[in-house]
Amino acid sequence: MALGLGFGMLCIQFPSMSGFTIDYIKPIGTIFIRGLKMIAVPLVLASLIIGVANIGDISKLTRMGGKTLLIFIVTTIISITIGLSIVAIVKPGHKLPEATRTNLMELYNSNAAGKIDFAEQVKTRGPLQPLVDMVPDNIFMAATNNGAMLQVVFFAIIIGIAMLHVPKETNAPVIAFFNGFNDIIIKVVGFIMLIAPYGVFALIASLMIEIAGDDPSKAWELLYALLWYSMTVIGGMLVMMLVVYPLLLKSFTKINVLDFFKGMRPAMLLGFSTSSSTATLPVTMERVEKHLGVSEEVSSFVLPLGATINMNGTSLYQGVSAIFIAQALGLDLSLSSQLMIVLTATLAAVGTAGVPGAGLVMLVIVLEAVGIPAAGIALIMAPERILDMVRTMINISGDATVSVVVAATENAIDEEVLKEHVND
Amino acid sequence: MKKLPLHTKIVIGLVLGTIWAFASSYLGWNEFTIDWIDPFGTIFIRLLKFIAVPLVLFSIINGISGLSDVSSLGRLGAKTVSAYMITTFLAIGVGLLFVNVVKPGSHIDDTQRIKNRLSYEIWLQDNNMGLSQDGQSFLSDPEYSKYLTDAQAEREMSEEERHNLEDKMAKAEETKDSSPLKFVVDMVPENIILSISNNQLMLQVIFFAIFFGVTIVLLPKNTVAPVVAFVESVNSVFLKMVDIVMKAAPFFVFALLAGVVAKMADTPSEVFEIFLGLGSYSLTLLGGLFFVIFIMYPLILKLLVKGFSYKDFFKKMSPAQFLAFSTSSSAATLPVTMECVEKGLGVPKKISSFVLPIGATVNMDGTSLHQAVAVIFMAQLHFIDLTIGQQLTIVLTASLASIGAAAVPSAGLIMMIVVLQSVGLNPAWVAIIFPVDRFLDMCRTVTNVTGDATVATLIAKSEGELHTEN
Repeated sequence: MALGLGFGMLCIQFPSMSGFTIDYIKPIGTIFIRGLKMIAVPLVLASLIIGVANIGDISKLTRMGGKTLLIFIVTTIISITIGLSIVAIVKPGHKLPEATRTNLMELYNSNAAGKIDFAEQVKTRGPLQPLVDMVPDNIFMAATNNGAMLQVVFFAIIIGIAMLHVPKETNAPVIAFFNGFNDIIIKVVGFIMLIAPYGVFALIASLMIEIAGDDPSKAWELLYALLWYSMTVIGGMLVMMLVVYPLLLKSFTKINVLDFFKGMRPAMLLGFSTSSSTATLPVTMERVEKHLGVSEEVSSFVLPLGATINMNGTSLYQGVSAIFIAQALGLDLSLSSQLMIVLTATLAAVGTAGVPGAGLVMLVIVLEAVGIPAAGIALIMAPERILDMVRTMINISGDATVSVVVAATENAIDEEVLKEHVND
Repeated sequence: MKKLPLHTKIVIGLVLGTIWAFASSYLGWNEFTIDWIDPFGTIFIRLLKFIAVPLVLFSIINGISGLSDVSSLGRLGAKTVSAYMITTFLAIGVGLLFVNVVKPGSHIDDTQRIKNRLSYEIWLQDNNMGLSQDGQSFLSDPEYSKYLTDAQAEREMSEEERHNLEDKMAKAEETKDSSPLKFVVDMVPENIILSISNNQLMLQVIFFAIFFGVTIVLLPKNTVAPVVAFVESVNSVFLKMVDIVMKAAPFFVFALLAGVVAKMADTPSEVFEIFLGLGSYSLTLLGGLFFVIFIMYPLILKLLVKGFSYKDFFKKMSPAQFLAFSTSSSAATLPVTMECVEKGLGVPKKISSFVLPIGATVNMDGTSLHQAVAVIFMAQLHFIDLTIGQQLTIVLTASLASIGAAAVPSAGLIMMIVVLQSVGLNPAWVAIIFPVDRFLDMCRTVTNVTGDATVATLIAKSEGELHTEN
């Protein structure tokens, strides 16, 4: 990424290289984006069908399962909403000067006027239109259109639920097929991620050139806007961490908020440095059990599930990023488009979170669903790594919070352990 | 009738169709033929095309997932692409040779050619394109000034022609204005279901299928077993569908041919007139195409494959060739080509399922030969002398163009406009060869399909997996 930035800067200084970059380096970035788009529909379809079938099993098994799922979904929706409101207040995308924004708009959609018209049209429709639009009238037609992802999600969920209601022996071949299919798709995502460094490099380098032309100061303006964007994401996450989680803990448990953070600190730090909730999982479990006193029965169920499907930080980040890109491209999003972001991001998060590298695919899905050009993700690639670290930290705190809340409502917290070991 | 082999039956259908067409135009039944017989030909092409996409998808996945070692795929891919490029260059070379020896464009009388030349130079002036390729100027030469008014008068085109042309020019414009790596970018699908739903995006389906197949090989057997089983059985279902459709092929071919000829002209004498006008051009092109099919390909195979039998090759390939001729679409012929190559020539499935779909989309020996012949014919017609160097530029552009042309009928004409523009000739000239293009397209497709089969055989041979016994 840094290389891409540097290379872009260099090219701005030497105009003769710009043409070369546009002709021979940009296609790599485009290929990368197209690869992500290509895999989006199969990924959502396969992993959601399998995901729903598995989750359905869990929630049927226990009351605790249903409760956990409900809390996960609620916290995810809260986090996206916080992300959307904070980005609407700060407006980091508007930190770019007007001229650059117009430039970007022309770059990514030659028919910007058409898009704006479309946005106008969307505004005049009722706020519940996204719900209506969620139901596909022809599933193959929906699947041919990346913008109709929500319809595919809807279809996949229905199929998943239907599979739960069909006798095991009848649906066994279908489940086996989708399991294999899902594994293959996840592997394909892995392959696409192999070219991610080159793709990102190409995207950033060509973006710099196309924005800045031969005026380096414009590039600095972009970096300045990115700084604001990062601050917005981090601000939103701080709200989650310092307001939402403490409130949840206060209202459902007797645990002291300060104790909670003290007890969880090692897991959070590890999450920050590895930026993987799965890698941190053993430590998280240990801290939650041994230091917060959550019974093993609850933690061993809630935490692994949370590590895969509960991603408060990630979904907040997606909300902010989508709006930031829209702002930078000068697109105004209506209330119903924002509602669409909430729906898509939540469902996509639940469905695909177990897939490494799915974050990017999910962001592409969200962008396409509301009609923002997916190539816009080039804008936010630069600070991606740091933000990834922060959002993993939030994901882990969220999982821990949910496990404590569930344990408290099930009366499964060992007060002794909490008192004795919380400060270790 | 039952005992006859399929290709004989197809030939009978072909001949009967042509006879029917001539008879019906003689008797004034053309309307009946177009209304009641031609639709069956269209149905046939549609049947083959709808099978082509799923067949490509499933047979590539099936073929590749059967490989034990993915690294061999890279080698296979490199070989395939280079073999296709070499045969394409050879075909273009043949085309250049023929057109330079026969000089079909100089057979009309000189006055007409001078007039053509003058109107070309006027066109150049109108578009501020400077001097023509050979650096001469007939306009400034007083000797030719008496032809000038005639030349200007002839520049008027009919309204319909112009409309048709502008349409094609717009498409050509899009093709031209893109990054040289555009075709690589275009290979990556944005939405796989969308690619599947569009026959022109076949290359994207191939890309996805290869990717998917490779991934299957890299995953543990037990996880992917249900998917492999599913793909395999669906694939065999589609293969069976090809068999069933092919049973009725002779009848469909009859309908196709009857329709094609009937649409070309109202009376038999008109048909002959069309061919007479462009006779020398058509003959040159046909000569080139037949040379490539009947001499060049067998020669390559003879040299590289031991125990190659000339008669066997054509006997086994004839169903695909006749089909290519009557449908003039290598994509529609693909299912049959695959069957002929696998069962007839003994190329193993895992190679044919990889090489042939790629060939149907990127390898266009006949098309690029046609580009070379046609462009130079038009230059000759306009009294423009092209040096070998300029002809080579045309060759390069033409072969790149042939890669870009999708496997659909007549995409070649659009690419021809690109070629003409790139060498500073007037793209409106494609109108000259419009009338015979449909028929020549049929012959080009035969060359394309035979070329694909040849390359598939070569690749199988070089992998040591050719089983000629069956």
